[in-house]
Amino acid sequence: MMVERAMAAEAALGTPEGPDHLVLSEVGMTFGTLDVIPSLSLSVRRGEMVAFLGPSGCGKTTTLRMIAGLLDPTRGRISVGGRDITHLPVHDRDMGMVFQSYALFPHMTVAQNVAFGLEMRRMAKVEIRARVERALAMVQLGHLAGRKPKALSGGQQQRVALARALVVEPSILLLDEPLSNLDAKLRDEMRVQIRSLQQQSGITAVFVTHDQVEALSMCDRIVVMRGGHVEQYGTPNEIYERPATPFVASFVGRTNRLSGRVDPSGRLLIEGRPVAAEGRLPEGAVEVLVRPHRMSLRAASEEPPAGLNSLPGVLTGATFVGDLIQATVRIGAGEITVEQLTRRRSGLPEPGSAVTVAWEAGDTMVYPEGRA
Amino acid sequence: MTAVPAVSAGRRPMGGQQVAVALLLPIALINVVGFMLPIFNLARYSFNRATVGGGIENVLTLQNWTGLLGDPFYLQLILNSVFVSLGVTLCALILSYPIALYLHRASGSWRTFLTVLVISPLLTSAVVRTYGWIAILAEEGPVVSAIRGMGLTPPPLMFNINGVFIGLTEILMPYMILALLAGFGRLDPRVEEAARTLGATPWQSFRRVILPLTAPGIALGCLLCFVLAVSSFITPKLMGGGRVFLLATEIYDQAIVTLNWPLASTLSILVLVIFGAALVAYSAVLKRLD
Repeated sequence: MMVERAMAAEAALGTPEGPDHLVLSEVGMTFGTLDVIPSLSLSVRRGEMVAFLGPSGCGKTTTLRMIAGLLDPTRGRISVGGRDITHLPVHDRDMGMVFQSYALFPHMTVAQNVAFGLEMRRMAKVEIRARVERALAMVQLGHLAGRKPKALSGGQQQRVALARALVVEPSILLLDEPLSNLDAKLRDEMRVQIRSLQQQSGITAVFVTHDQVEALSMCDRIVVMRGGHVEQYGTPNEIYERPATPFVASFVGRTNRLSGRVDPSGRLLIEGRPVAAEGRLPEGAVEVLVRPHRMSLRAASEEPPAGLNSLPGVLTGATFVGDLIQATVRIGAGEITVEQLTRRRSGLPEPGSAVTVAWEAGDTMVYPEGRA
Repeated sequence: MTAVPAVSAGRRPMGGQQVAVALLLPIALINVVGFMLPIFNLARYSFNRATVGGGIENVLTLQNWTGLLGDPFYLQLILNSVFVSLGVTLCALILSYPIALYLHRASGSWRTFLTVLVISPLLTSAVVRTYGWIAILAEEGPVVSAIRGMGLTPPPLMFNINGVFIGLTEILMPYMILALLAGFGRLDPRVEEAARTLGATPWQSFRRVILPLTAPGIALGCLLCFVLAVSSFITPKLMGGGRVFLLATEIYDQAIVTLNWPLASTLSILVLVIFGAALVAYSAVLKRLD
């Protein structure tokens, strides 16, 4: 549900079409004998917010730290606005970073924390005071300027960290899992706030996360990473609707896997039955992925809906979760999940009974077998 | 709320407070018998009179105190002790701080190995280590020979204050490093990184972030080393060659050589007063840091 709402929001906003601002070319990182990032190339447009999304150990934080200058890349080149910064020291990079643990200076007050970056830039005291005040007002923390960080809640600390990073008007804002230490309700609020601050200031931002909802709902584009590689780079809609690999499909949103094959005439068969799909299909053994909520379920005795793909199966179980019913269906040797919105008078067939699973041709995602 | 279960009317387990008292009693007793009473005794001796031959005459007199505080030799001794200890503490701090910072940042088996290296000097007694230093710094030792080899005249390193300084500093360094490490808890590498991303050079980040955050460790290490330096007597005794007079060596001389226990007690109480002052200074520093 979240995902669909996020997609609608994204479609309405559109994505910034600026020139490339941050460019990574063939950047690689080796720790000892471990090739954490073999070779990575990508670019972020000016004013764009891009998510690095992937499971832990995929290299997303390593990449972010290389951009910040906290790690020295083994190979490759990083540039900002056309300027090579690959070996520039951290303090000369002009980046704002928000850490997962916020990393506020515990011995300084909120105002001193925010002023720190300005002091490093040798700004006049009067100017610093004015800017700190504005930055704190921006995150609604003006009244806590004199407090020490430990006297603040997690969400407040998060906002101080954000104000501290933004007050210096950095060329790029880097966010390292900034929401993972907050509770669910606060996370929703901060998602909206971070995104609106980023859009207001028009700053280029890179957002590291393992949470697909954050990536889909907040960012203009998403880099899905695995094992130091880019699996796919695209808008949230592209990532969700046209995942480049089965990994992307199963990491972003949930998905069912079915085995099939494409015969020499280009027909896709699952369990010996023809299934329609869009686009060109790879020949031979294939994996077929369909999202649970794009499938529907009816009793085998009913006429299968015309124009849809349909497969016979046996209903093995159903869980009622309020607005949804999650049904498990055995098809051949495999088992899939079907999600249906509940309606007041619609019941499901009895478990153990024969059912038909149906979906649209456009929702069929086909990948060559063994590509993982 | 009307029906109270009958079970709770029976025997109740010991309350938390009673348990706490029971657990604290043994150590409290040991402290009273092993520490408080002897200190009290010491304080009493300092108001008694010494008799020829090492006896203690049980009369109430202020003569130890007035004699001590009116004698320029003892005032010099006190100042000497305090300044040497402060100097040794400062040297130990300067030499130990980088080591502690490196250890704090190290990880895994490398860190374990280094920690063992830091602690290993504590496994040999201070006497053995002091003799080691005597061998190194002696007239025909490697250091003096090396300085001569460079065509320079070596300063006197042994049996004077220089030797005491060098020896004490090295002997106290493990304590300083361990105390610093214990006080580095607030130093999170992410906080340093935050400073760096905000435009701080390594030096600025050290001055503005690392140093203030490690200040509690520095205070703790200095307190510990100062107290140990003031009360150390083996190293000053052996390396000073009888020419360096500090409070601890003087107490030893008065108690063991001259057998003037009341004066030794008075000096001991004076050392306790200095410790008290150090503690007061330490808590004042901690209060300011918070």
